[in-house]
Amino acid sequence: MREGLAGKYVGAKVRRVEDRRLLTGRGRYIDDLNLPDMAHAAFLRSPYPHAHIRRVDIDSARRMAGVFLVLTGADMARLTNPFLGMMALDGLYDPVFYALATDRVRVVGDPVAIVVAESRRVAEDACELIDVEYEPIAAIANMAQAMDPMRPPIWPRARSNVLWEDSQTYGDVEVAFAGADRVIRERFAQHRQSNQPMETRGSVAEIDPVSGELIFHSATQSAHSLKWSLAFLLERTSVWRSIRELATNREKPRKFVVGARAFIKSHPDLRTATKSSQPAMLKQLRREPKRIVHLSEALLGLLAKDPSRRPRVLAQDIGGAFGAKGLVPREDVALATAALQLGRSVKWIEDRNEHLMVGGQAREETLDIDVAVTSDGTILGLKVHMTMDVGAYPGFPFNGAFFAQMVKVMMPGPYRIGALRFDTTITASNKGTYVPYRGPWAAETWVRERMIDVVARELGIGRADIRLANMIGADELPAAMVTGPPLDVRMSARRTLEEALRVADFDSWDAIRDQARSEGRIVGMGLATFIEAAPGPPKFFDYISPGFSALAGVEPAHAVLEVDGSLSVITQQVPHGQGHETTLAQVAADELGVAVEAVRVRYGDSSITPFSLFGTGGSRSAAMAGGVVTVAAQELRQRVVDIASDLMEASTEDIVIEDGHIHVAGTPAIGVSFAEVAAEAVRRRPGSPSDGAIRVTSEWDGGAGGWAQATHVCWVEIDLDTGLVTIPRYVVVEDCGELINPAIVDGQIRGGVAQGIGAVLYERAAYDGDANFQAGTFMDFLIPTAMEIPDVEIHHLQTPSDIFANYRGVGEGGMIAAPAALTNAIEDALAHLGARITEQHLPPARILELAGVIEAEAPTEVGPPDYSAAAAVPAPRPSLIRERMPTLTPAQAQAVRRTATSVRSGARRFADRYAGRP
Amino acid sequence: MSDDRCEVTVTVNGEERSLAVECRRTLAEVLREDLGLTGTHLGCEHGVCGACTVAVDGAAARSCLMLAVQADGCEIETVESLGTEEKLHPIQQAMWDEHGFQCAFCAPGFLMTVYCLLRENPAPTPEEIREELSGNLCRCTGYASILTGVQAALSRGAAADA
Amino acid sequence: MKIPRFTYHRPATEEEALAMLTEFGEDAKVLAGGQSLIPLMALRLSRPAHLIDIGGLRELAAIRERSGTVSVGAAVRHVEVERSALVARAAPLAAAAMPHIGHGAIRNRGTACGSLAHADPAAELPAVALAAGASFVVRRASGERTVPASEFFLGYLTCDMGPDELLVEWRLPTWPVTAGWSVQEVSRRHGDFALLGMAAMIDTDPVGRISTAALSLFGAASTPIRVDAAEKLLTGEPPSAALFDEAAEIVKGQLDPPGDLHGTAAYRKHLGAVLTRRCLSEAAGRLGAAA
Ligand SMILES: Cc1cc2nc3c(=O)[nH]c(=O)nc-3n(C[C@H](O)[C@H](O)[C@H](O)COP(=O)(O)OP(=O)(O)OC[C@H]3O[C@@H](n4cnc5c(N)ncnc54)[C@H](O)[C@@H]3O)c2cc1C
Ligand code: FES
Ligand code: FES
Repeated sequence: MREGLAGKYVGAKVRRVEDRRLLTGRGRYIDDLNLPDMAHAAFLRSPYPHAHIRRVDIDSARRMAGVFLVLTGADMARLTNPFLGMMALDGLYDPVFYALATDRVRVVGDPVAIVVAESRRVAEDACELIDVEYEPIAAIANMAQAMDPMRPPIWPRARSNVLWEDSQTYGDVEVAFAGADRVIRERFAQHRQSNQPMETRGSVAEIDPVSGELIFHSATQSAHSLKWSLAFLLERTSVWRSIRELATNREKPRKFVVGARAFIKSHPDLRTATKSSQPAMLKQLRREPKRIVHLSEALLGLLAKDPSRRPRVLAQDIGGAFGAKGLVPREDVALATAALQLGRSVKWIEDRNEHLMVGGQAREETLDIDVAVTSDGTILGLKVHMTMDVGAYPGFPFNGAFFAQMVKVMMPGPYRIGALRFDTTITASNKGTYVPYRGPWAAETWVRERMIDVVARELGIGRADIRLANMIGADELPAAMVTGPPLDVRMSARRTLEEALRVADFDSWDAIRDQARSEGRIVGMGLATFIEAAPGPPKFFDYISPGFSALAGVEPAHAVLEVDGSLSVITQQVPHGQGHETTLAQVAADELGVAVEAVRVRYGDSSITPFSLFGTGGSRSAAMAGGVVTVAAQELRQRVVDIASDLMEASTEDIVIEDGHIHVAGTPAIGVSFAEVAAEAVRRRPGSPSDGAIRVTSEWDGGAGGWAQATHVCWVEIDLDTGLVTIPRYVVVEDCGELINPAIVDGQIRGGVAQGIGAVLYERAAYDGDANFQAGTFMDFLIPTAMEIPDVEIHHLQTPSDIFANYRGVGEGGMIAAPAALTNAIEDALAHLGARITEQHLPPARILELAGVIEAEAPTEVGPPDYSAAAAVPAPRPSLIRERMPTLTPAQAQAVRRTATSVRSGARRFADRYAGRP
Repeated sequence: MSDDRCEVTVTVNGEERSLAVECRRTLAEVLREDLGLTGTHLGCEHGVCGACTVAVDGAAARSCLMLAVQADGCEIETVESLGTEEKLHPIQQAMWDEHGFQCAFCAPGFLMTVYCLLRENPAPTPEEIREELSGNLCRCTGYASILTGVQAALSRGAAADA
Repeated sequence: MKIPRFTYHRPATEEEALAMLTEFGEDAKVLAGGQSLIPLMALRLSRPAHLIDIGGLRELAAIRERSGTVSVGAAVRHVEVERSALVARAAPLAAAAMPHIGHGAIRNRGTACGSLAHADPAAELPAVALAAGASFVVRRASGERTVPASEFFLGYLTCDMGPDELLVEWRLPTWPVTAGWSVQEVSRRHGDFALLGMAAMIDTDPVGRISTAALSLFGAASTPIRVDAAEKLLTGEPPSAALFDEAAEIVKGQLDPPGDLHGTAAYRKHLGAVLTRRCLSEAAGRLGAAA
């Protein structure tokens, strides 16, 4: 079946290539993998939020029929390296921990043991036989408890449960606030949310029976970062052994070093990146010297290892992720270790209860905001203090602090905000791990758009007027956010707002609402505008973390003419619902002049896909992968044309490719096929054709990049008897540049809006005041159904541009703006009752409390103490808090010194040899 | 049957199958693990998400909430019975045309729910469709594309094939 | 999330089932539709050693009308009750409750008696039974007893049945044709268990005064409950919005519901008033509609 004319795929609603497989139940999701002789794993998990582990008795479990292996935290500490934060931020305490809990559990669901058995059922039976003696400790359940100095830190090596404090100032904040007619203050609280894709996490650790090599099949968003993380965490080799290995076999590390050197050379900014975090890293090492041991064991071990024996990661169909599958699950490390110990493949599929408890939670952030405004509504500056509860175990390799930086940089959005002070406090708690969830920085949009409504109300200015007055218009572009990122001429947030106001007939709204009220109906309408760095301006990530663009800012791809004449695109992206097999094929097909079905998109296998640590995320696929595939396909086309022109004895300019047919312009009857070109290419190229006949490798840095933007308008009707909120209409006006596949774009927007609505009205990863988890089933964590989600009306704008690959991302925008538009609508509806919406989660009982219909009950989520009160007593500046060396017993101290010295001298000797010195 | 293995005879997608399975195994597990019918997905294993929906004697049922042994003597249809990659069932075809799904993990459950709905009620109203589909969760799409897909299937007479 | 081991039994007759219950007692559980029991077992919150599957017992699979009662057998599935013309005519309160129970696929498998025996205080049918003055036929190998709904529900997931007993029949008195009915609830999402719900019936005498009133709430306590004070207030009065408001306030005042993740106690109390008003006005609108 053909999908329209070749050469015209980009922009068409092309049906998805992957759908035939998926719609007929022939997809290959991780749980569908069934290897011969495969065993199954289950985890014994802590029922306590916080407890010492006094004893773990696995004897009866191990003896149970059908059980092959039981491993505990002690085994992990022996067999693997601990998770170590790789993103050093000055002053951030980044804990060291193992895949399984060793001496203490820190969250309900903390894995204490892994059981491998003949079936998952038997493994679960055996888990019940493991006897663990816990000694419960008072838990940290919320920000207030975390900031209470009387409560001991959940990480003994941390000074307190405040893991990081930071303050950044952009522009002249003092002047802005001094010149203000008013300073308006509000506190906004986001609740704990959770990504909850319909497929949970899961992996199969396959052990190649011949080589013993680990092939790790996984539902991961990023095959390469999982591969390297596993390689790092599993490589527990004594330093001496590694050094001996390196000394006797120099070929092994040589390749590694040459490769690494080439990588560093081609990414000069990497130096800056590492340089800026070096002092922080050194501080960490000083604070916790055993990090040096772990790092050197892992890194030297990696260096000494035969590259072919590094794990290979394979991902196939993935049932959604939304950020939850981008990090490295602790369970994966335990699973791989168990498989390697047994020499046998083992499967672990997380069940829903596990996924709800420990599969990733997000967005528990409280933001205090002061806005300096003039009485005509001009916003002069902001002071923001964000407190983020990152739970117990930090995500690896990206922890919450990284995403906090994104909130900071994105805070001004599309508005003219000349001054910003942004303070960050990161707190630990005995709750699930913070993971990025679809637009992890979205707090900036929610708080800004909510606050703008508050300012409008306080000053008696219209909600549209105040936005129009402060939003950057086309005539002011190019411009830059006060936090740094430039806004190019295609930044069209204001146009989306103007169009949305028109579509929504905003001017008549107040009359409509008041009329409805007089009839006893409670209705409201809310607006929200955002911009999203998808992919963002050039080197966007450097504003988040200096030098980070070098790691994340480049997208690679291969375009291949295979030996049989077929065409492949090989991407490091790992699609999980976004339809890359279709969109990337569309892009390539247009460039190559072939049918979309003729291009096969290959992904997910770390042994064939080009290296990148980023995987799929951040709404970057269309812009970055779309761009690089365009570049690669163009080059491949050129190489094909070169050969074809020789074969046909014509000049290259005269060659056309149409409908998969290569011929000379004007004489379509005579031509050559891709297969003939492939055969010729193979003839010309000596050596093995295993990489295809022609293979092009390209990289793309996003070019001019740019912003995606939209304005959302949400209408609500509220039943004041029941507190139930319905959404009769929802409009999105979006500009994401050129659309590769409008059906896919619209699907992304709708899905995001649905999750935003879910977060506000239904979903909460709730804990009680003692950090006991409350939402362990889908009866308590409420994902909205078809009855709750409205139709979403989408209008596309496209700012004309002749920029190359003018694609921008839409993956996250729906969810970024929906909570803002919805909560703004709810406040609009309830404003006459005095309701002020300062929290994001609004279940029916809360709606009635806010409307004054019923009495309020105390919430279990308690925010941080009032910073303004605290400010009366000058708090010690974070940088002035003295670094304190941990207290070690003399024996420990000596052990650390010994290891550190031996590592240092060993490394020096190694380096000397390498450099050819005696 | 007093030990923990049970004899089960079921007709699955038109084929009679006799198996001896551990009694505690659910229909979903047996379909997926013993019969290789991995199109039936498990999203929650406690009856809420609908990913595991199959037709039991023509009516939609959660295969995670049914012991395989309870299906003894029943006729089971799974997503694999609808159409093939070469020849899609009209409901699948409509979902393909309308970009019904994204990650499609939920798709088999939705397809079987729609299939059973149309068999029972060949001309459901949009409200009835929405209501019936509300027993299945989708995390990716916001449902609009799935609902459009059902409408498209209906307007092409998919009910006749259900 | 896998079901623990058990021994499965499929009795061929009710008698055999009763014999098994006598034999295994506390160690056994009846398996009807499995829509509540299986998820509890998968979460390992319930771990019976023996399951006695009554799903296939033909003798328990009928809905019958006899001598002033509609009886629903233990193997009758929700969907059959929902579609039964007999139930719609002779037990409209039960019929009205059916669409609120879960989703189509749940109702295709779950049984009415299973829901009643399970005695979830947030479930619809126990409250319907209470409002309608239903009774339960409970059998053990050594004999049978009939328990009125008012004595059947003892506490959270607990009803008046011994481990060796089987609920064989749910008996609803044939609906007084003049009476009006209503079942309404508030849930977080469509198809969820109710945060609070009410099954109500009112009947009037020839001069139009309320002669019988039954207000039965679910989700309000550890069992379904009737609100006598409100029923008393209504009795003898002609139906009116003002009267219903007054009844609503009484209901609210009498309730002492639990609070949880999905709604505070104050919220549920408030819903008590809301649902009283809504149910009474709907029931009043249906007075005589069953005739
Ligand atoms: C997603 C979902 C949503 C749901 N929503 C609702 C809802 O909104 N409202 C609602 O009411 N229910 C709801 N249910 C539950 C459903 O109605 C069940 O069908 C019902 O509660 C139990 O019936 P069953 O036949 O499945 O019983 P089973 O699950 O087989 O048994 C339930 C319990 O009753 C006992 N039992 C069953 N039959 C007998 C008998 N004859 N004699 C003695 N003991 C017996 C069993 O031993 C067991 O303890 C929902 C279920 C799910 C999975
Ligand atoms: S897996 Fe059966 S309903 Fe979710
Ligand atoms: S398409 Fe992903 S869950 Fe429905």
